[in-house]
Amino acid sequence: MRKILDWIKQNLLRRHPETARLSATDSFRTLFANFQELIDLNNRILHHVAEANDKLSGDYIFDSNYIETTCSKISAMVKDLIYLINKMTQQQYPGLYDAFERIEGDIQAMLEGKIIAPRPDFILPYPMIDRDLMDAVGGKNAHIAEIGNVLGLKIPLGFAISITAYQYFLDYNKLQPQIAAITDSWHRGEIQVDEASQTIRRLILSAAIPPKLEQRMIFAARHIANLSGESSPRFAVRSSAYGEDSSSSFAGQYLSRLNVALDELVSNYRDVVASAYTIRAMEYRQQKDFRENEVLMSVACQLMIPAKASGIIYSIDPVHPEKETLVINSSWGLGEPVVSGQTATDTFVLDRRSPHVERELNVVRKDLNLVACGEQGTNLEPVPQYYRTRPSLTADQRHRLAEIAMQLEKYFKTPQDIEFAIDHKDEIVILQARPLRLKRKNAPRASELADLPERYPVIFRDRGVAAMEGVAVGPVHFIRTDSDLDNFPDGAIGVARYASPMLARVIPRAVGFITDVGAATGHLATVAREFRIPALFNTDEATSLLHEGEEITLDTEERVVYRGTVRELELFALCEEHIEETYEYRLLRRILKKIEPLNLLDPNAETFKPQYCQTYHDITRFIHEKAVATLIDRNYYHSHDPDTVAGRLKWDFPLDLILIDIGGGISGTEDHFVLPEQIISDPMQALLTGMSFPGAWDMTPAPVDMGSFMSSLTRTFSAELSNPQEVGQNLAVVSAEYVNLSLRLGYHFTIIDAYVTENIKNNHAYFRFSGGVTDTVRRKRRTRLLDRVLTHYDFVTQHQGDMLVARLKRLDKKGMIKRLYLLGLLVGFTRQLDVRMVDDQKIDFYYRKILSIMEENDGQQQDQYTDFRR
Amino acid sequence: MDNNKTNILILDDEPIVSKRLKPSLERKGYEVETFTRSRDALARIREKRFDIVITDLKMEGIDGMEFLTEVKKLYPGTEVIVITGFATMDTAKESFRKGVFDFLAKPFKLGEITEVIKKAEANIKNR
Repeated sequence: MRKILDWIKQNLLRRHPETARLSATDSFRTLFANFQELIDLNNRILHHVAEANDKLSGDYIFDSNYIETTCSKISAMVKDLIYLINKMTQQQYPGLYDAFERIEGDIQAMLEGKIIAPRPDFILPYPMIDRDLMDAVGGKNAHIAEIGNVLGLKIPLGFAISITAYQYFLDYNKLQPQIAAITDSWHRGEIQVDEASQTIRRLILSAAIPPKLEQRMIFAARHIANLSGESSPRFAVRSSAYGEDSSSSFAGQYLSRLNVALDELVSNYRDVVASAYTIRAMEYRQQKDFRENEVLMSVACQLMIPAKASGIIYSIDPVHPEKETLVINSSWGLGEPVVSGQTATDTFVLDRRSPHVERELNVVRKDLNLVACGEQGTNLEPVPQYYRTRPSLTADQRHRLAEIAMQLEKYFKTPQDIEFAIDHKDEIVILQARPLRLKRKNAPRASELADLPERYPVIFRDRGVAAMEGVAVGPVHFIRTDSDLDNFPDGAIGVARYASPMLARVIPRAVGFITDVGAATGHLATVAREFRIPALFNTDEATSLLHEGEEITLDTEERVVYRGTVRELELFALCEEHIEETYEYRLLRRILKKIEPLNLLDPNAETFKPQYCQTYHDITRFIHEKAVATLIDRNYYHSHDPDTVAGRLKWDFPLDLILIDIGGGISGTEDHFVLPEQIISDPMQALLTGMSFPGAWDMTPAPVDMGSFMSSLTRTFSAELSNPQEVGQNLAVVSAEYVNLSLRLGYHFTIIDAYVTENIKNNHAYFRFSGGVTDTVRRKRRTRLLDRVLTHYDFVTQHQGDMLVARLKRLDKKGMIKRLYLLGLLVGFTRQLDVRMVDDQKIDFYYRKILSIMEENDGQQQDQYTDFRR
Repeated sequence: MDNNKTNILILDDEPIVSKRLKPSLERKGYEVETFTRSRDALARIREKRFDIVITDLKMEGIDGMEFLTEVKKLYPGTEVIVITGFATMDTAKESFRKGVFDFLAKPFKLGEITEVIKKAEANIKNR
C-alpha cells in the first residue's frame, strides 16, 4: 500500500511549492472526516431552513417561541460550520465570523421587533423592485412595480423612496426616541391620542430633510422626467407604508399628493411621512395587531398621468360578494374625486367570469372633473358640454379593465381595489392595487362549509400534503413537457407528476399546483408559499384521476379536490383573513429573508468573499465551495494517508482517474490499478455506468480545436484556467455509499458529491460544471441544456454564465442511482457539447436525445452494473 | 346555537394560534370561541360549559395550568388539550396528572390537533 502511495506521489501528484504544508498529524483521513462533518452540518442547516419555511405553508400552528428557538439552532450550526472550515484551512476565513455577526445581529434585531430593510438604498426605481423588496419599499410600491415588471401591464414611471430613507430621515433629526416616548405615553393612557398625533406630526413637519436624501430624490425624479421627455414634469407622491397593503388595508389612512412640481417634491415627501401619525392611523394600528415599531413610511413618487378619465375597480362587489360581479367606478379627469366620492361617477357592473357580461350600466351626468393646474396642485373644473352625459369609459375599456381586475386578483390571491387612469393615448395605466376588504358579515362563514363534500362531487380527498394552504378554482392543465409550461393558460391549476422546480416558471399564471410526488420542503413549495399559490403535493395519483381542461376546486387545507366550481368555498377563501395578517407569521417570513436567499452564485466572481455574504445560505454556500476546493487542493499537492486504498482506474475509456477509498468503496487493487468491477461504491458505480454509455465517449470529436479534446483525455489545461484551485488530478474519494469526484476533462471542470443510502434523508447529490473552449454564447447554450435536463430530473439548479450548480436531496436510493447515472452520462457527453451548440435548436435536439437515453436505460441499469461486477 | 355541535374554547396569548385554528375548526363543523387573555377565558367558562378546552400553558396573568385546573374543577367531563411551545417532561406529566386529555408541543400541524380533537369527541360520546 505504501508503495502505491509513493508511486502516486511520484507519478501523479506534483508538489506545489506555494501551498501551505499540512502538518504531519493532519492526515488526509482527518481532513476528510472534517469535510464530511462539514457536509453533514451543511445539509442539516439547509434542512432546518426548509423546515422553517414549511411553517409558512399555513398548515402549522407555531408561535414566537418556535421562531426564537429555530433561529438560535440555525445560528449555532452556522457558527460551527465556520469553525470547521477554518479548522480545515488553518484559519483562512476569519471574515466569515464578521459576516455571521452581521447577519445574526440583524436577526436578533428582528426578533426584538425591529424592521431591517432588505436593501440599503434610499431610492429604488420601479424596474428594480420585486416581491422580495416589499420590506424596503412597502406594499403599494412593491405591488405596482410587480404589476409592471411581472404582469407587463402599463404603470406610471416611478420610484420608491425606501424605508431606509425614512429611517435615515428620522435618525438625522433624532426623532425616533421622541416618537417612541410620545407613543408609549399614549399607550399608557397618560395623554390622549389627538395630543400624541399632533405632537409627533409637528416634530416631523418641522424636521430637516437630509441633503443626501434630497439630492437622490431630485436626481431620481429628474431621471424619470427625462425618460418621459417631460419638460415641466409633475409627480404624484403617495404613501407606501410598511404593511399598508396587508389585508388590514390602511386604505385612505395616509396622504397622497398629486401634480407636485420638482421643487416641491421634498416638502410633499415630508407631508406624506407625517401622515403616518394621523389619529386614525394610530388608532387603526392599535386595533390591528400592528406594533409601533412596524410604522415605516416608504413613499411612492410617480410621474403624473394627465388622465382623460380615471376610476377604481373592485374585483368583487364588497357589499354583495355572492353576486360574483365586479364593479368599476369612473369619471372624467383625475381619479381623486372618484376615490373620495366628491363628484358624480359612472358605475359599471360586470360578471367576474369571462366573458365579463355587463350586468348594470349607470352613466350619470358629470358636470365637474379634477384636472392638474399649471403650476401645482389640482382644480375642479367644468367638463366640456359634449362629454357631460357620455360614459367615461368605452365598452372595450370596461371589458379590458374587468380582465385586468381578475388577472390581478388571481396573481395577488385576494380581491383587489385598483386605481387606474386612461392616458392620452387611450391606454389603461394602473396606478395602484391593494387588497380589498370585504365586509365579513357578507362572507360565508367557515361553519357553513362543514358539509361541502356531501353536497359537491369529490374527485379525491385525504391525499397528499399541503405545501401551501388555500383554495384554487380553475381548469386542470397537465405539465409534462416544456411546451406545457410555455403554453400554460392564465388561471389554470398545474398538475404534474413531480413537484419539480421547473414548474415555478408558470407562477405568474398558475392559481394552484397538484402533483403525484413531491415534498412540502422542496424548492417549488417555497416558491408557492412566496406567491401564496395553493399547492397539494404527493397525492400519488392525481395525474391519473384528473383530466386536461376540466374545471376543479382545490382545497388544500381539507385535502379535497372537487369536480367543478364550489362557489361558497371560492368566496370563503376570498374573504378569509390570510395567516400573514399575524405578527408572528410576518416575523418568521422577514427573518427567513436573512437566512434563505442565495446571492453568492459564482465561485470565480470578485464578490465570492465572506464580506459579501448577506444571508446564512451565502455563508454555507461559500464554505461548501471552499471545503471542496481545499480537499482537491490537498489531494493534488499532498500525499494521502497510508491507510487509504488508492489506485488508478483501468477501463476501456480514456479517463485518467485516481480512486481513494475511505471505507468499503473498493474491494481491492491490482498492481496499482483499480478495475471497474472492484469498485463497490454504489454512487461511483452508477457514475461510471453513465460515463461509459457508448455514445458519450465514442462521439466523433467535432472538427474544432481537436487538441482540446485530446487533452481531455490527458491532464493538460489552458493557461487561463491554471488557478491551482481549478486544476487537479482527476480524483474520486469513495466509500460504500459516498463519492466525491473532481474531474478536469480538457477545459471542463466538474465536481460531483453524492451520498446514496437506504435512508432517504441522508441522500444528496451535488453537481458543479464549468469551463469550456468555445465562445461564451455556445457555452451558455450548453449550460441551458444541462439546466433543462437536470431540472427535468428534479435537480435545483443555479447558473451564472457557463457555470452551473445543481443540487438534489431526499430521493430514494433507486432514484439517486438513476440520477447519478445521468450525471455520468452528462459528464461524458458535455465534454464537447459546447462545440456542437451552434444554434438554439441544438439545445432541444440534445435535450430530447439525453432524455430518450435515460428512459431507455431506466429498466436496464441494474443489468449494466452486473456487467461490471461479474 | 346548534346543539349538535361540539363546543371548543381556545386560549392562547399569541393571536396567531387562534386566528389559524378558529376558521380551520369551524370548517370542520365545530363551534369555536377564542381568547388571548386567561382572565376573559376564565370568566367565559364560568358562564358556559365547553365540551373541549384547548389551552396554552405559559401565559401572562393566570397561567394555563391554573386555568385548566379550574376547568376540570367546574366540569370534570370537559376534555382539556394542552398546546405549548415549552414542552418538557415535567409539564407533560403534571398536565396528565391533572386529567388533561392530550398534550401537543408547538409547532404542530393542523391535522394533528384535529385528530386529537376527534379522539376527545369520541371519548365524550362513549361515556
